[in-house]
Amino acid sequence: MRDEAAVSLLFKAVAMLTLVVLLLPVVIVVLAGLNAGDYLTFPPKGLSLRWVVAFLGSATFMSAYVYSFVLALVATLISTVIGTLASLYLSRSRSGAAAALRGFFMLPVVLPGVVLGLALYIFYVTTDIGLARTFAGLLIGHVLVTCPFVIATVTASMVGFDLSLEEAARSLGASPWTAFRKITLRLIAPGISAGAIFAFIVSFGQFETTLFLTVPNHEPLPMAMYISLRYKFEPTAAAAGIFAIALVALSTVVSSRLVSLRRVFRA
Amino acid sequence: MSETAGRTLLRRPAFSVTEAFGGFRLWWLVLPAFLFFLAFFLVPLVSLLAISFNKTVPGVMTLTTAFTLDNFERIFTRSIYYRSILRSIGIGIVVAAIALVLGYPLAFLIAKTEHPGRNTLLMILVLSSMQLDMVIRMYGLMVLMGDTGLINSALIWSGLIHEPLPLMYNTFGVVVGLVQVTLPFMVLSLIGIIRAIHPSLEEAARSLGATRAEAFRQIVLPLSMPGILAGSLLVFALSISSYVVPALMGGWKVVVLPIHIYQQIAESGRWQFGAAVAAVLFVTSLIAVFVYHRAAVWTSGGRT
Repeated sequence: MRDEAAVSLLFKAVAMLTLVVLLLPVVIVVLAGLNAGDYLTFPPKGLSLRWVVAFLGSATFMSAYVYSFVLALVATLISTVIGTLASLYLSRSRSGAAAALRGFFMLPVVLPGVVLGLALYIFYVTTDIGLARTFAGLLIGHVLVTCPFVIATVTASMVGFDLSLEEAARSLGASPWTAFRKITLRLIAPGISAGAIFAFIVSFGQFETTLFLTVPNHEPLPMAMYISLRYKFEPTAAAAGIFAIALVALSTVVSSRLVSLRRVFRA
Repeated sequence: MSETAGRTLLRRPAFSVTEAFGGFRLWWLVLPAFLFFLAFFLVPLVSLLAISFNKTVPGVMTLTTAFTLDNFERIFTRSIYYRSILRSIGIGIVVAAIALVLGYPLAFLIAKTEHPGRNTLLMILVLSSMQLDMVIRMYGLMVLMGDTGLINSALIWSGLIHEPLPLMYNTFGVVVGLVQVTLPFMVLSLIGIIRAIHPSLEEAARSLGATRAEAFRQIVLPLSMPGILAGSLLVFALSISSYVVPALMGGWKVVVLPIHIYQQIAESGRWQFGAAVAAVLFVTSLIAVFVYHRAAVWTSGGRT
């Protein structure tokens, strides 16, 4: 019998506490964005949509939200294409180079984001290639931090993929491209979609890599929220947060339908 | 390459889809990503390391071949700098320990939850809290922990205290923020290893008269060590790398390495010195990640 009964009461209590630590800040942001007063107080003053309306009309936060959305969309597109192609190689090649490359592609995740952003900025300025403080320069940083997530998700979805299915199609006369498109691509499509979703979320919430690469007067949402948070707790920022939370929650639910979350995160 | 292709050919005489791919060589597929990473990851990192060995000239950023150890000498001899290295490492260790104590029971619960719906729900909760923008989560924590925040105003309102407790803009606040941010990584590192422990081992111990606590301490905990080591090192590496959490929760009063990097560059324009601090941070977290890999391989190798 392997079920919840095997877990002691103490463990259950601490596990609940941990869930509270994980989720309470999120709940508070939602409450702060929906609260009626000028800022969230105890006891709360009641609910209202005034800050949501203020966010929708806010020059700072609405444009930051849209900017982050576009940035994440383009970064996702690029990293999904190059990441999926790389994953096809990584999951099929049995050479030692493939194993080494896999580790290499995961490096941006473990490298401190501030260091990566600074390295890129110094590189842009010293080589004078016109990327410093531009959209393209920021985009490159976001592709680097999102690509590992695409590669991890797509290679995970190809574990256990039976290559003989593709070979069967080819033995029945399909060209290599047709066999790939009609068999392999269809089978790994959920993995690619999930990888793209993860990439989008990572880019949309990326702060550390962005720090040195932001284009003046065009802050992505996390940067805009950070700047406002250094001075005061604007409920408009919390309302923007509600929309970001909704986006992340929805994306995670969708990706859990597409791939085994355990397998992707090696859990 | 030819040897691998030869082996593949032996096993699959008719159609080899592994090494040749529609007339292309298979490795052509990895080329776009590889070139991108080479140009925008490896080369920038090497230039960062190179410029950290240049003499610091405020406001000037050009890479020269006149290499010197001045910046590193300064970092390791001036107390303001080496203390911040020690502060970063100390905070990383404390955060890893707290995240382990809080994360292990949740990982255990998720690993033992067989009900598919409940299991997926728990996974989604952990994953979405991991992926949500850190600034948003810090907003929530700051509203909770500030001097006029929810905790302090509730305590004052109830009459338990008269002065607000200093929960934020100090090391305590930074540790709480980092624990909040790194907990999901700890939980995810532990679930797999706990699931891999066969329940019959625990049952055997129980049937031989061990209490549940004894069976846990003697069987489950030692077998979880690879996950515990891996999760702790990962959390440590993430904690010492974070800029946004110390900046917001510490209010610039808790000066850790990433804050130093930003101050050197944004406030003094000392690029070479900032790059040197970044190199120290990079190497420290690289060591943690390297040990994490070795520890995971070594411990699981010793187990089976």
